[in-house]
Amino acid sequence: MIEQKVVTPDHLLFQAGREEHFITGSEAVKEAIKRANVDMAISYPITPQSESMHLVGDIYAEGYLKEYYRGENEFAVMSAVAGASMGGVRIFTATGGPGTYRAFEMFPTWAGARLPIVCAFMTRGVNSPLSIQPDTIEMAALLDTGIMMFHAENGQDLYDMILKAFVIAEKTDVHIPAGVFADGFFVTHTRDKVAMPQANIKLPPYDPHSAPVPTMDMETVPLRQMRDPFVMKSNFISYAAHASWQQEIMAAAERARKHVDKYLGGLVEAENEEAEILIVASGTAVSQSRDAIKIARQEGIDVGLIKIKSIRPFPVKEIRSLTQKAKALIVPEFNRVGWLSREIKSSLDDTTKVVGGPRVFGGMTMPPEMILAEIRRCSA
Amino acid sequence: MNKGLITIAPGFEDIMPAEYRELVEHGPYEKGYGISDLGTFKELLEEHPLCAGCGLALSLRLILASLPNPEDTVIVGSTGCSSLAFPQVAVHNIHSLFGNQNAVASGLKRALKLRYPGRVKDVVVIAGDGATADIGLDMVMHSWFRRENITTIMLDNEAYANTGGQESGMSTLGTVLNMAPTGKKFPKLSLPEIAREAGCAYVAAVAPAQPKRLERAVKRAILVARETGPTYLQVFSPCPTNYKFPPKETVARIKQREKEGTFQYKEYIAPAAQELLALIEEGKKE
Amino acid sequence: MLTTEYRVLAGPEGYLPPAAASMGVVLPEKGEALVEGEIVPEEVAMQKIIEKALAAKNPVFFPGPKILWAWKEGVAERAKAVKELAEALGAKIIPMPDYRPKYPMIDPNVEINPNHPNLTIWHNKIDVCFFVGVHCHYANMALKIIRGGTSCYTIALCGEEGHEDAMISLRDAGLKEIQKLTEIAKEKRALHD
Repeated sequence: MIEQKVVTPDHLLFQAGREEHFITGSEAVKEAIKRANVDMAISYPITPQSESMHLVGDIYAEGYLKEYYRGENEFAVMSAVAGASMGGVRIFTATGGPGTYRAFEMFPTWAGARLPIVCAFMTRGVNSPLSIQPDTIEMAALLDTGIMMFHAENGQDLYDMILKAFVIAEKTDVHIPAGVFADGFFVTHTRDKVAMPQANIKLPPYDPHSAPVPTMDMETVPLRQMRDPFVMKSNFISYAAHASWQQEIMAAAERARKHVDKYLGGLVEAENEEAEILIVASGTAVSQSRDAIKIARQEGIDVGLIKIKSIRPFPVKEIRSLTQKAKALIVPEFNRVGWLSREIKSSLDDTTKVVGGPRVFGGMTMPPEMILAEIRRCSA
Repeated sequence: MNKGLITIAPGFEDIMPAEYRELVEHGPYEKGYGISDLGTFKELLEEHPLCAGCGLALSLRLILASLPNPEDTVIVGSTGCSSLAFPQVAVHNIHSLFGNQNAVASGLKRALKLRYPGRVKDVVVIAGDGATADIGLDMVMHSWFRRENITTIMLDNEAYANTGGQESGMSTLGTVLNMAPTGKKFPKLSLPEIAREAGCAYVAAVAPAQPKRLERAVKRAILVARETGPTYLQVFSPCPTNYKFPPKETVARIKQREKEGTFQYKEYIAPAAQELLALIEEGKKE
Repeated sequence: MLTTEYRVLAGPEGYLPPAAASMGVVLPEKGEALVEGEIVPEEVAMQKIIEKALAAKNPVFFPGPKILWAWKEGVAERAKAVKELAEALGAKIIPMPDYRPKYPMIDPNVEINPNHPNLTIWHNKIDVCFFVGVHCHYANMALKIIRGGTSCYTIALCGEEGHEDAMISLRDAGLKEIQKLTEIAKEKRALHD
């Protein structure tokens, strides 16, 4: 095993000095896992996350992880990840697009089983027809699975969010899975500046004894324990137990808010939020919005930006208070269904000011001019 | 096993319900019990809701009594009748979903090996025929191809029993069951042979009609899985409810099928496993 | 949108009460505790706990697996401390030995189970109960069901972050905190006698 010093999360994430490196998003994943003190990773190929998991395999061979293997399909991989997590180890995996859908039954299973798994999703189009190009539509499907969802704008976000996802997910009062989402190709395959501390430090190891559920290792009480039994037999009261369990999973995501505030620096980031026109976006749509805002300002149009970092838990309070004065909320998205616009609308009393677009999908890029056109229309 | 799991905290002995005190005093942990000790110790399986005459329940009790080291065994089950019994089993067990039990077991086994290197931590999959041979076949086989150190035990009642008796891959040709109103159109899957070809170091087909044989197969399967490679055990456990025969005839049915030649006891032992078993069974190895 | 603050009060709250965390109740920080949905200093909560317990007709402790079985260092001492606290409060002890769905039927005289905790509470007419040594997930599950269908006042002596679904919840409650509660109990009883 590689020699690394265990440091506190605060030190690794906020205090340690960082150097800038010009790397791809896939490499940012590798660098995050290097410092995450991950015990195990299981992989399966699918574009555009294959490279990330190749690199995780490479650092396993170098001695940064204790176990790694390639599974036979995404459902098998996510199942094995669940088994390992129940066995008490810190585990990482990744998928995207059709792979997400192939594994899908496992995501609400992970959440209900209180497994603090971190899974990176490199989002891409889903069939039919096939496209390997970027698209965030899979995020819509995951919104109600019970997992936490953090959306990375760029390689820096991807690096930081993966590490922070482990810290937040493993809190005893949270202890549910965290998905870290990055738009495929736009983030994974482009180079960007990512500031990181040296790789000779790592997070503290996972402590299974702090879990809110018992570990399956014949070392933890109670002895007669099944994870998780059918909770439905014998009488109506067991149905209440199932309902109560589901409510507890939702509550776990609510409890994550204060940890997201601390580690991600807030569920949202706001710039110039007093402006009458606000762009509210997540992922690489934020980068495109920044370009559009720059040009708009040159034309004398005052536009603000709200970058949403945490999709689950969703920043309802923050969105409500930040958008009170705004006359228009422009929500650019890389998918056809507008799931982010739906989320925003369901947080507000007045939805008439929400502009559900521009939207591009199928791999189309979103030129800043599209967003600019919307800004100009709103300011007219 | 952490012995504390079966040690009542001092002062709480008088408030522990009887079934737990019995587990502490007469449980099978670290005692090396076998099926010939049945009736003298507290079994791992508590009261369960399975049907009268259930071949699966009988097989499960015998399997649990045959575990070489119950104190360090974690079981991975799957949806089906057995998962209704597993909440009442006094070893840690995981309910996978359906069909992914061997994938879950692969992750679990590697995690336990990583956390407890050099210690015995047996991971045993116990699932029905639907879970093992149909919906889970690819994941079962891939765990064998990867040579995972796990034991796979199929409780074969030749149907999807828990969902009301539908045809499964392990039902015999011509059997009329739900979803096969005019009889099954293809023969019973030959899973022991598939297991052997897929790389299992020890394969056996047994039934609760011969409990001692079943016990030997369970012990061999688990001990070989520890060191040599994946192992597979198929246990013929007829279902009176879905096959509509009187509950008391379950064992007689097994014997009848054996006479007819449609059920055979089998054992395939790979050379590496043969060496290991010879050493163990001659008492030269722990 | 919520116009009133959610209070975590003794029930019966109804068919399916919400999780207090989903209604905006936040867990306390170190040194703090939760009383009926509000964050208070730990001292205040401890006093309230003893007040409630001493005024109860049938207070009962529900020790869970983490304290019933001597599985870790420190458990034996904590178990002893819990017993002493129960004695000081004149409370009975009914164990929660594990979390499995009990089959066929729980015997509510001798145990409690998180899948149907209300059975034990109704049967024994428990008006104040203490959760200690229960894995947080199962405690939360049980506490909601209790608040929904019974009028029992729940108190959680949590060794981790605390429980919003209990009427009173401590956090980081270890040996010291349990012993402190016993002290307070003895003081208060001495005042009464």
